[in-house]
Amino acid sequence: MATESSEGEEEGKAIGGNQHLVVDDDLREMAKKAAWSVSSCKTGNGVQFLRDDNLDTYWQSDGAQPHLVNIQFQKKVKLQLVVLYVDFKLDESYTPSKISIRAGDGFHNLKEIKTVELVKPIGWVYVSLSGADPREAFLNTFMLQIAVLSNHLNGRDTHVRQIKVYGPRPNPIPHQPFQFTSREFITYSCVR
Amino acid sequence: METLLIDCVQSSLRHFMLRNAIFLCERLCADFPSELNSQLLAICYLHNNQAYCAYHILKALFYIQKFMAIYNSHLVWPQNMKGHKWLNPATCLQFHAFRWIFLLKLKQHYALLSLMQRYTDRRKSAVDHFKRALSMDPLLWAAYEELCVLGAAEEANGVFSEAAALCIWQQLLNPGSNTPNLQITNEDHVVVLNKTLGSEEMSPRQLKSMQGNIFRDTPGNHVAVFSGGPSSQPSSGGSSNISLYGTPSPMPAQLYGVAPPPLCRNVQPNLNILGGESSPKSKINTTLQGSRRKLLDEGKLRKVSGRLFSDSEPRRSTRLAGEAANTNSNSLQVGTNGSGHSSTRYFGGLSSSSKLISAAIRSGTFCKGQPSASESFDEGRRSESFDDSRLDNTATTSSSASLFADDGSLERERTGQQMGGVLAHGSRVSSGILELLDLLRTLGEGYRLSCMYRCQDALDIYMKLSHKQYNTGWVLSQVGKAYFEMVDYLEADQAFTLARQASPYSFEGMDIYSTVLFHLKEEMKLSYLAQELISTDRLAPQSWCAMGNCYSLQKDHETALKNFQRAVQLNSKFAYAHTLCGHEHVALEDFENGIKSYQSALRINPRHYNSWYGLGMIYLRQEKFEFAEHHFRRAFQINPCSSVIMCYLGTALHALKKSEEALNMMDKAIIADKKNPLPMYQKANILVSLEKFDEALKVLEALKEYAPQESSVYALMGKIYKQWNIYEKAMLHFGLALDLKPSATDVATIKLAIEKLHVPDEMVDNL
Repeated sequence: MATESSEGEEEGKAIGGNQHLVVDDDLREMAKKAAWSVSSCKTGNGVQFLRDDNLDTYWQSDGAQPHLVNIQFQKKVKLQLVVLYVDFKLDESYTPSKISIRAGDGFHNLKEIKTVELVKPIGWVYVSLSGADPREAFLNTFMLQIAVLSNHLNGRDTHVRQIKVYGPRPNPIPHQPFQFTSREFITYSCVR
Repeated sequence: METLLIDCVQSSLRHFMLRNAIFLCERLCADFPSELNSQLLAICYLHNNQAYCAYHILKALFYIQKFMAIYNSHLVWPQNMKGHKWLNPATCLQFHAFRWIFLLKLKQHYALLSLMQRYTDRRKSAVDHFKRALSMDPLLWAAYEELCVLGAAEEANGVFSEAAALCIWQQLLNPGSNTPNLQITNEDHVVVLNKTLGSEEMSPRQLKSMQGNIFRDTPGNHVAVFSGGPSSQPSSGGSSNISLYGTPSPMPAQLYGVAPPPLCRNVQPNLNILGGESSPKSKINTTLQGSRRKLLDEGKLRKVSGRLFSDSEPRRSTRLAGEAANTNSNSLQVGTNGSGHSSTRYFGGLSSSSKLISAAIRSGTFCKGQPSASESFDEGRRSESFDDSRLDNTATTSSSASLFADDGSLERERTGQQMGGVLAHGSRVSSGILELLDLLRTLGEGYRLSCMYRCQDALDIYMKLSHKQYNTGWVLSQVGKAYFEMVDYLEADQAFTLARQASPYSFEGMDIYSTVLFHLKEEMKLSYLAQELISTDRLAPQSWCAMGNCYSLQKDHETALKNFQRAVQLNSKFAYAHTLCGHEHVALEDFENGIKSYQSALRINPRHYNSWYGLGMIYLRQEKFEFAEHHFRRAFQINPCSSVIMCYLGTALHALKKSEEALNMMDKAIIADKKNPLPMYQKANILVSLEKFDEALKVLEALKEYAPQESSVYALMGKIYKQWNIYEKAMLHFGLALDLKPSATDVATIKLAIEKLHVPDEMVDNL
C-alpha cells in the first residue's frame, strides 16, 4: 500500500518532485471521461500530450500568461488529488513555478482553492485538494482549472508533461454507509 | 467395463463428440491406468486441438519421441486448421449434424442436433433431443451433461439404470441394421468377423452365417429375450432366440462376395447410400479392427491400420487373439479367470498374453471349422460358461442366466454354434456395462445436483466415488465448483489445487478456480495460475479469464476488461466470460455495457446465476429497486444455497421497504452460512434504519467476534451510541473504526461524526 508523498505547508510552497507516481489504493483516476481543454497551445504540442501517459511528450502553451488547463466533468465529482509531471532539467524556463487550482461549476464561477509554488521540480508533483477540515476531505465540483501563473526564469510559455486527477473510489457495494476493510467482509461482499 | 469405455471413446471420437470422448477417456484412465488408455486420452485431446494436453500425457509415458515422429502430422494439423471453419465447434457440429442426421439418424447426431439447438436457444427441442439421444445411447455423457446444464436432467438413477444397461447390451450385440441404434463398434465387430472369416478360406459358411445371424436381431425381439428374464423359461427363451437367429438366414448371402472394406455396407443395408462414405468409415473401422486382429491374419491387417493406432497395433496384436470370430472362445477363456474388469476383452481391449496363447490354440482348433469339434468344444465351454455365470455380479445373473439357459438350449438345437459363447461372455460385457453405468450414474447424479446448485448433496455423492475416480481432474474440479457455489472458498481452493495436481493440463473449471483465488485475494497464486494457463494454451478462454481476474484483483479494471473481452472473442459461447466482462464494466461504472454483457451471458445460459446477480447489483446502484429485487430473486431461485445472494435479496427488499421479509432473508442467510459475516451486518443495518437500536447492537456485538478487524462494524456501533447520546462509547467506537484504516471517504465521514458528536442528529445531514 503506497503512501502519498509529503505535502507542502498550508499554502503549498516549494514542493519537490517525485520520481515515481504512487497513489493510495483507494484513489482512482477521475479524469478519463472529462473534457480537457487548454487556453493555448503550440502546434504539435497540444492538449492530448497531457493525457497520453508519455513523459516525453508535453503540452506547450503559446500565448499570454496565465496558461489554463480546464477539466470539465459531466457530473459533480469528488476530487482529492491533482498530480503533475514537470521537469526543470529538461524544460528550464518552461517549467511552471506558480500554479493555481480553481474549481467551480463553469467558467463563470471558478474560485481559487489552492496555490502551489514549485522550486526546480523534477518529477511528479502532488497537490492535494482537501482542506484541513474533515468536512473538506474532498472537493465536489463540476470543473477544475489548473492555471500556470508564472514560470521559472520568467519564461513566457510553459511545458507540462502529464496531469492526473484523483478522487475516491466509489463503494463497490451500493447502499452501504461504510466501506468494508477486512478480508472476511470483502470476500463475502460480492458474487463474481 | 474397460472395453466398453474404450469403445465409447472411439465411437465418440469418430463422431466428433470430443468432449464426450475426453470425459469417458478420463474415467477410463482413472480406473484402468495403462499406457494404451493414456494414449487414447492423448489422441482425444489431439482431436480436440489440445495438443499440449496430449503432449503432457505422452510425456508421462516417455513417448515423446515416438509421438513427435509419428504424430507430427497431427501436431501440424491443428495449426493448419486454425483459420478453418471446422475449428469452430459450432459450425463443425452443425455441418456434421445435418449431414449425418439426414443420412444415418444416429443417436449421436441427435445429440449434436440438440447441441446446436441449445446454442440457438431452442431449449425445449434441445431438451427433447438430448433425452432421445440419451435413451438411445445411455453412455452419451455429453448429452446428459448438456441436459444438466439446461436444468432439465432427470435423476441419474433413471437415466443410467438397468433399462439403460439393457439398452446398451442390446446395442452391443445388435448393429441394428434397420434401426437408429447404430453403434459403429458393432459394425466393426461384424466387419472384423466377416473379414477374419473371409480371409480364412476354411471357415465354413455356416459358421459365418451363424455369426452373422447373431448380430442380426431386431431390437424388439432382443428385448423380448431379456424380458424373458430369469431362467424360469429357458425353452421359450431359447425358442425365441432360435426364431431370432432363424430369421436372418437370407442375410448371410450378403456377407460374402464383397471385398473386406465395404463390409460395413453389408451389415447395414441402409448404409448403401453411403457407398462413398463407407471407405473412409471402413478406414476408421479397420484401424479399430486392427486392434482386434485374428492371430492368423496379423500381417494383412497391420498394414491397414495406418493412422493413430498404428503404434499400438503391434502390441495389441500380439496380445489379442483372434478377437472377432473367436472372441467366444477367447473371452470364455478369459472369463474363467474371473476378475471383474480387465479380463473381458470383447471389443478390442487388452488381454494378457497367457490368455492369448490359450485362446490362440482354441481359435486355431476352432477355425478348422469342424462342427462336431466345435460342438464338443462348445460343450466344454458351456460348462465353463456356467461357472462363469456364478462368478458374475448378482445384478447380471438374471440376464446372464437366461442367456445361459438359451445357450444350453441352443447348443442342443444347433451344431457348431458359438452363440452360446457369445451370450456367455456377453455376461461379462453386461457386468462391464453395469459397472460403467454405475460410475456414470454417480457422476451424473453429482453433476446434475451441482447444476441444480444443491451443492452439499452433490458433494456427498462425489464422495461415494472410488478413490481412483475421485482423484481425477474432472471430479476434483466439480468438487471445487460445488464448494465455490456454497461460498466456501477455502475448501474450493483445496479441491482445485488437487485438481491441478491430478491433471495440470486440464482447463475444466479453471476459470472458477481463478475466481476463488480472486475472492481469497491470493494475488501470488492467481497470477501463477494465470501465467501457467496462458503458457499452456493461449487460445483457451479460461486462461484469459484467469488473467483478467488477476488484473481485476489489482484494481486495473480496464486491462481486466480487455482480457475478458479476449476470452469472449475466443469462445463467444462461454457464458462466464461475458459475466466477468459485465463485472468489469460495472467496476468502471459503465452500467449500460455492463447490462449488455450480463444479458449476453444470460442469453447463452439462462441458469447462470452470476449474471442475474450482476444485473440485480446494477439496478440496486441505479436505485431501481423492483428490478433489483426481481433479479436477485431469480438468482436466488437458481442457486438457493448462496448466502451472498440471500443477503443482497434482503438488501433489495429492505430498500423496497419490505423490512420484515428482508429480515427473514437475512436470518436465512445467517443460518445458511455461519462464516459469512455480511448478513449479520446487513441485518444490523436494517435494524438501525428501523430504529431498533438494541437488537442492532446485539447483532453487532456478535459480529465483533466474527470479524474484529472490520471498521464498518465499529463505525455503525459508534453511530448507534451517538443516537443514544452515549458519547464516550461513541467516541471509543469511532476511534476504533478510524484505527482500522477505513477508506478515505469513511475517514471523512467518521471524523465528521466525531466532530458533530455533541450536535443533535437533526443538524447532521449526511451521516
